[in-house]
Amino acid sequence: MKKVLQVALGILAAIGGFVDIGDLVFNMEAGAKFQYQLLWVVVVGVVGIIVYSEMCGRVAAVSKRPVFDAIRERLGFGVGLGALVSSQLVNLMTLAAEVGGMALALQLLSGLPYRLLILVGIVALAIVIWVAPFEWIERIFGYAGLALLVFAVGAIKLHPNWGHVAHGFVPHMNTPEPLIYAYFAVGLLGAAMTPYEVYFYSSGVVEEGWTPKDLGLNRANSMIGYGLGGFLSFALMITAGTLFFPQGIEPQLIGTVALGAQLPLGTIGLVLALIGILFAVGGAAIDTCFSGAYNLAQYFGWEWGKHRRPRDAPRFTIAWAVLLVLALLAIMTGIDPVMLTEYAVIFSVVALPLTYIPILLVANDTAYMGRYVNGRLANAFGLLYLVIILVVAVSAIPLMIVTHQGQG
Amino acid sequence: MSEEVDLGLGLLDHQLVDCEGRRCGNVDDLELERVSDGPPRVTAILVGPPVWRGRGQLGRLASALATGETVRVPWEEVDKIDAAVHLKKTARELRLGRGDDRARRFVDWIPGS
Repeated sequence: MKKVLQVALGILAAIGGFVDIGDLVFNMEAGAKFQYQLLWVVVVGVVGIIVYSEMCGRVAAVSKRPVFDAIRERLGFGVGLGALVSSQLVNLMTLAAEVGGMALALQLLSGLPYRLLILVGIVALAIVIWVAPFEWIERIFGYAGLALLVFAVGAIKLHPNWGHVAHGFVPHMNTPEPLIYAYFAVGLLGAAMTPYEVYFYSSGVVEEGWTPKDLGLNRANSMIGYGLGGFLSFALMITAGTLFFPQGIEPQLIGTVALGAQLPLGTIGLVLALIGILFAVGGAAIDTCFSGAYNLAQYFGWEWGKHRRPRDAPRFTIAWAVLLVLALLAIMTGIDPVMLTEYAVIFSVVALPLTYIPILLVANDTAYMGRYVNGRLANAFGLLYLVIILVVAVSAIPLMIVTHQGQG
Repeated sequence: MSEEVDLGLGLLDHQLVDCEGRRCGNVDDLELERVSDGPPRVTAILVGPPVWRGRGQLGRLASALATGETVRVPWEEVDKIDAAVHLKKTARELRLGRGDDRARRFVDWIPGS
């Protein structure tokens, strides 16, 4: 019984932790621009992250090796270093964007100046990372992030035309602007499958000492946690599609996103939405910050882990602290967090193949995985998504340029 | 250590773990003997920035930018190989993980470290 509770709590945290600033921005903008037409892309993205997070978690539980170990082992030192540098750049951009999102949510809640709140946010993150145990960090931010469910309630109260919503789950394109449609499809896939999620998840599996006995838990976490997390994405897109699409409003600000809960539910909706955004984005900031430190340490073979005392993993500790400072400096320049998010998501799409190809290879290696190698289903989906990822990676930046970031 | 292992996939770039479970570097390169006559044999694991020079263009660049020296771990010190390479002695005895040892003083003045 205790075990069941533990599993349930872990899954709840995974749901709350699914949405980050990339999902907020792309789901809302896609809904405002194409109403419900792109809902099917979210399904594709969520299945993709389920397939690869399950694989990464299984590799980590069986071999005790997280994703970046596999990247260096399979791509070699040189190409691996390229993967490291690009993933670190994307991580840092994402971290800075998440911190900016936190500050914007705090600003709407408190009315204090933006730059002061950036500082408050960074200091708060540093204290939480230093003081709280790994499991608690996940739980605190995951549970509070569940406040985003207010968007699901709001979406229902807005009484969308459910027939039209259902039609959105069937792939179709009905627009005079196919390139912008494609740009948002790429962005939604990128936001759902961001590589930092698997860096963080697989390192967490090693940190928590999972073994092949925990493979059921790994499957449940990936399928239910990410699967239900996808529901939050639907809720965001349906809200924007019902509320903003008919008016032609484009939610370029975090405040407009929160408006999506305020209009149907009043002040309580607004406050819950802002709290949900604050913690979802704050949790993602910690995930990206740790991912950066994990990747560096794993690539160079340093001792790492939140489960080690900081003095026992000093370079890992310095790495996350430096990343926080760099993110602080970047976002203090006044760069728009929403714009930064779009760049971060699109660039992360380009880095996707370098992350997922080595994982697919290692998950098929019996020397590594013993009898826990990929089955036929995992390989069929793994290969299918590899093709999708490659197409998306090649087209991401050209689409961003020709559509002027979806502005047409 | 006489069982079969694929040097390229099963050894190179893998994590080194000392006898106390501490992570202490990666297998940056291997030292082989009898490459020209007879079956080649691994004599040592090489670790450290100077070794990266032999690891492609980016490796040469990284080697030029990083400081540190080569540490040679004789093959006799290898205990077992799974997804990681486990060593028989401590990192300190093998002169591995010294970057972490040097970095420690930047961290251990903070309360709670």
